[in-house]
Amino acid sequence: MKLLATAIWLACILPLTAEAANRTLTISVYAYAQDDYKRLVYDPFEARCGCKLVVETGNSVERLARMETNKAHPVVDMAVVSMADALRASRDGLLAKIDPAKLPNIEKLYDLAKDPNGDGMSVGYTFYATSIVYRPDKMKIESWADLLKPEYVGHIAFPNITTNQGPPALQMLGQAMGETAPNLKAPIAAIGQNKDDIVTFYEKSSQLVQLMQQEEIWAAPIGRFSWGAFTKLDVPVAWATPKEGQTGGMNVMVLTKGSQNQDLAQEFMNFWISTDVQTALAQKLVDSPANKDVKVAPDIANNLTYGEATARSLKLIPSAAILDQRDGWVKEWNEAVGQ
Amino acid sequence: MFHNRSEALILAIPAALFAAVVFLVPVVMLLSEGFHGPAGDWSIGAYTAFFSETLNRTVFLRTLRLGLEVTAAAVVIGYAAALAIVHLPSKGKGRMIGLVVLPLMISPVARTYAWIVILGRTGFVNKALMTLHLIDSPLHLLFSETAVFLGLLQLFLPLMILPLIGALENLPKDAVAAARVLGANWLQVFWKIVLPLTREGLVLGGALVFTGSLTAYITPAILGGSKVLMLETLLYQRVAVSNDFVAASVIAFILIVMSFGANLVLKHLATARSRI
Repeated sequence: MKLLATAIWLACILPLTAEAANRTLTISVYAYAQDDYKRLVYDPFEARCGCKLVVETGNSVERLARMETNKAHPVVDMAVVSMADALRASRDGLLAKIDPAKLPNIEKLYDLAKDPNGDGMSVGYTFYATSIVYRPDKMKIESWADLLKPEYVGHIAFPNITTNQGPPALQMLGQAMGETAPNLKAPIAAIGQNKDDIVTFYEKSSQLVQLMQQEEIWAAPIGRFSWGAFTKLDVPVAWATPKEGQTGGMNVMVLTKGSQNQDLAQEFMNFWISTDVQTALAQKLVDSPANKDVKVAPDIANNLTYGEATARSLKLIPSAAILDQRDGWVKEWNEAVGQ
Repeated sequence: MFHNRSEALILAIPAALFAAVVFLVPVVMLLSEGFHGPAGDWSIGAYTAFFSETLNRTVFLRTLRLGLEVTAAAVVIGYAAALAIVHLPSKGKGRMIGLVVLPLMISPVARTYAWIVILGRTGFVNKALMTLHLIDSPLHLLFSETAVFLGLLQLFLPLMILPLIGALENLPKDAVAAARVLGANWLQVFWKIVLPLTREGLVLGGALVFTGSLTAYITPAILGGSKVLMLETLLYQRVAVSNDFVAASVIAFILIVMSFGANLVLKHLATARSRI
């Protein structure tokens, strides 16, 4: 009888332990800084959960296209995307609701990161400010409208409408011109009038560093995550704090609808937004922390989008406005600026 | 070598299957996207929609014009360079051919970035013009059609020079001398003797340079950016930014048609001249 009981107990427990050891979580992330993420997020989580992480990387368009293709049989359990892409995926029926009870660390996030799209489908893990990097020895930037001053406009690069920085920069330019967001008609027309003078409409901020170095440009609107590279140049550079404020963007984590590992995926999300992990990522300048308990030294904070005051001051364009109006903006841009 | 045709065909099957699976099938799948209507029926709606936008028409015409300009400039410079090289003693000829081939061994990204340094506001060209007091303030050379033209010409010029050297070396040695003795001037010699006898090299070089200019991505992306959109950079924008695979398929098909069209025209020109 004892033998039979042991056999039954073993029969029950063995598949469970085997399952625990075989648990695999597939995550879909940006290709950016993967060595740091592996060391600071993925490896510690694997050690903690006794599971295996499979990491898929790529830009958000490719990754969302793959999620759409595998909609019936999801491969990816959780993904990180921009706020607007999260809303798009949600509208396409690719996402499941996040259960706040399974992510107790949500309480530690800045308010704007707790439920960025207001639909319970995403949680912000990092955000960034978008403002203007400029040469303080050549110009003075006090307003977004200063970019289009006749003496400066021949020395600026502006983000293309198709980049993540394009619409927010146009929105702030519009505000400086007295427009109310998110109507971008007036700023697009203003850029169109100056299109021949503006040095370039950039698509990747990495190309701006060289242009700044060889004095091709004096100023450009950029995301704070690109700022570090500019500080290493041997020309003076400054980060503008225009009177209209700064804009920006946020990256969020989402849960795939139909995933077999939703609990594990949410455990991973909770781990990622924990104070320890967010502090480690901030210390290495990988991501600006969305967790308000993270404390870093001033020299580190200077290279991040950091602190309660900054988080409050960011004027993010609502995702719905971006999704619903992007095609119209691109059309207006192509007519006024498109070459 | 083979007893019958079927033996040769059997040997060709693996390569044909490989090409079909990894090249033809994906290309046909991609191109068919552009011919599907919203209800899944066959339609050319995507093409009419593409050409109804002013920006797309401008980009199409710019791509065609720059391709033709780069090819024409490559022909002129290529003939001059090839004529100079074939008349060098063999040691010098080898060295010069080495110099022509050298840029092909350097990454197009590195070669294109060099142009940013040369054409920049503080670059070599502007500094030289300022020193010579030809201009008062630096010119906007980067992110212009001129920059893309120069980048593409530098990128593809070797592909024109090399076939022309081959063709000129096959030119009968006494043909030019005979024409001169019979009273032809240098222009007539070139037009009536050299050009017809080297047309195969010209057609090959022309096809390579024109097709290369149409389909280059890195050079227009870096030197032109979104201020000088070409079909390739527009294609990338449509896929990577707008996730619009239908427009991408339309652009890909247009590029393929332009490349095949250029080859047909050049071949026709070559055979037309040979009938004269």
